[in-house]
Amino acid sequence: MEPLSSFFAVSAILLGIGVYGMTTKRSAIRIIFSVELVYNAANLNIIAFSRLRNPPLVTGQVLVLFSISLAAMEAAVGLAIIILAFRLNADIDLRKMTKLKG
Amino acid sequence: MTDPAFVVIAAATVIGAIMAVEARDLVYGAASLGISFLGVAALFILLDATYVAVFQIAVYIGAVVVLILFTVMLVGPVKGEAPMELKRTSLFAAVLVSMFLGIGGSLANANAFPGADMCGASCDLQKLSQTLLVNYGTQLEVLSFVLVAAVIGALTLAKAEKD
Amino acid sequence: MVDLPPDPISMTIAIMTSPLFLKIAIFPGLTSIGIIAAVLTWLDRKITARVQLRIGPQYVSPLGGILQSFADLIKLAFKELIIPEKADRFFFVLAPVFGLVLGAGLIGLIPFSPESLISNVEVGLPVFLAFVTLSPTLVLLAGWSANSKYPFIGGLRSLFQQTGYEIPLWLSSLGVVMMAGTFNLTKIIQAQSTGWFIIPQLLGAIIFLVTSVAEQERIPFDLPEAEPEIIMGWQAEYPGFLFLAAQGAGFVKLYAFSALFTTIYLGGYLGPGPLPPLFWSLFKTTIMVVLVILLRGAFGRVRLDQLLRYGWTLLLGLAIVNIGITYFLIVGFPTI
Repeated sequence: MEPLSSFFAVSAILLGIGVYGMTTKRSAIRIIFSVELVYNAANLNIIAFSRLRNPPLVTGQVLVLFSISLAAMEAAVGLAIIILAFRLNADIDLRKMTKLKG
Repeated sequence: MTDPAFVVIAAATVIGAIMAVEARDLVYGAASLGISFLGVAALFILLDATYVAVFQIAVYIGAVVVLILFTVMLVGPVKGEAPMELKRTSLFAAVLVSMFLGIGGSLANANAFPGADMCGASCDLQKLSQTLLVNYGTQLEVLSFVLVAAVIGALTLAKAEKD
Repeated sequence: MVDLPPDPISMTIAIMTSPLFLKIAIFPGLTSIGIIAAVLTWLDRKITARVQLRIGPQYVSPLGGILQSFADLIKLAFKELIIPEKADRFFFVLAPVFGLVLGAGLIGLIPFSPESLISNVEVGLPVFLAFVTLSPTLVLLAGWSANSKYPFIGGLRSLFQQTGYEIPLWLSSLGVVMMAGTFNLTKIIQAQSTGWFIIPQLLGAIIFLVTSVAEQERIPFDLPEAEPEIIMGWQAEYPGFLFLAAQGAGFVKLYAFSALFTTIYLGGYLGPGPLPPLFWSLFKTTIMVVLVILLRGAFGRVRLDQLLRYGWTLLLGLAIVNIGITYFLIVGFPTI
């Protein structure tokens, strides 16, 4: 059985890549990629944490099931917003979307 | 890190994530994101969470990646060229990333977190489903309401405006 | 993992004669999948021909043209691979090949007999269905990567169709899981030793059959490759060997879905008497394959709006009704 700290390390690295993508990319779809990466990092972390106790807790897996469903919903609504923004502006460059109206 | 399977899977996950954020073409990015999700599902299996891994494959790769691909094909890439000068955001992001990489690297000390070795009856599918339905049944129903709200919201947002 | 002799040659021999490798390579693994896919191609053409009052393949061998598909295989393998100039080469080649890999992975989960079982995961049924949810992604990539109108439209139609019919597929197999109490395919077969699940789950079995035919894009749900309209749909630009891979993937999925249907509804390898369990599972799978092929000659094509409407409303509603019926069958009807 692989030491748990390696799983935490992978989760931290995924979190770092996700945050990097969220802060430096212009395209709104890349932001969605990064958000999904952060979700995955969190899920991996929760499942790894649920193995800290002996015997392992199953609550972590329940929480991750909820988290995966919510992440999928959030991606769907986010992509709908992107499609709408594309229809209005013909471009999804986030640096140009600085006004709330118009 | 003596388990070769773990090293390969973790490497695939991290490389997939990096390519997803950095690939020039968004479709390649979405496909590498799919590979990253597959790697995370394999890591779930290594942690004895098999049902969650199947759920991850079915929902993330089966639905979210398809949604993203579909939107990418509909919307297309961002027009205009990328800025060349190092902006403050990139610097901040680089600092943050090195912080997380540092945390990750320091956590790789194998004695930091002793994990449970045996999973046995606790990771049993029956225990999972009992906990889900008995202890968290109400939350499951609320989740279904949230799903309905999300579907209605997405449909309303994406509907073509006919004025 | 296992004790391997350190010498490379004897290690190779030890791996190649181990039972797992033989199962993966020969039966029910790769070699038999290839042969069965070729035989199913011939069977499909022969039965469709007879239904349409034709004769079908008859020249390649004296036994009614059974070697026709092998002749096609050899011809297609030697054809020149012409990939369109603006096409995205990576996904163009990857998508059908990965579709074949996916199909082969599906077969690996099915217990054909108690001995010839490749993998016995506790969550066998959701793993199968989760792999099925991966195929719309591949078809969309295949249709988009050809960089041409008709394949893209075909790919989008296939995406809508396959995604829409996934939920009734999952829900109708949920009835079986409720009755057996487990996801494990071997235990589901053993739970049918008192009676096949098709009898109490008749509605669920019909829904499963219809949705699996829709998932495989077979006629009558072949809108994504409607020949007079969009010329083979997402497969239109595929040359030689890749076309073979795309078609072969379709027939491997036919085999996989029919095998799953016999496992969860028809009792898998259970069968009376002196005949071995392997014979029974293959026999029932063949019956289901022939049934699905016969559907091809019997029905007209379903229109896109009909298809989406029936998938999302009628079949979903019926699947939920099936879950209700199964609940009352298990718990007992309330006495009024």
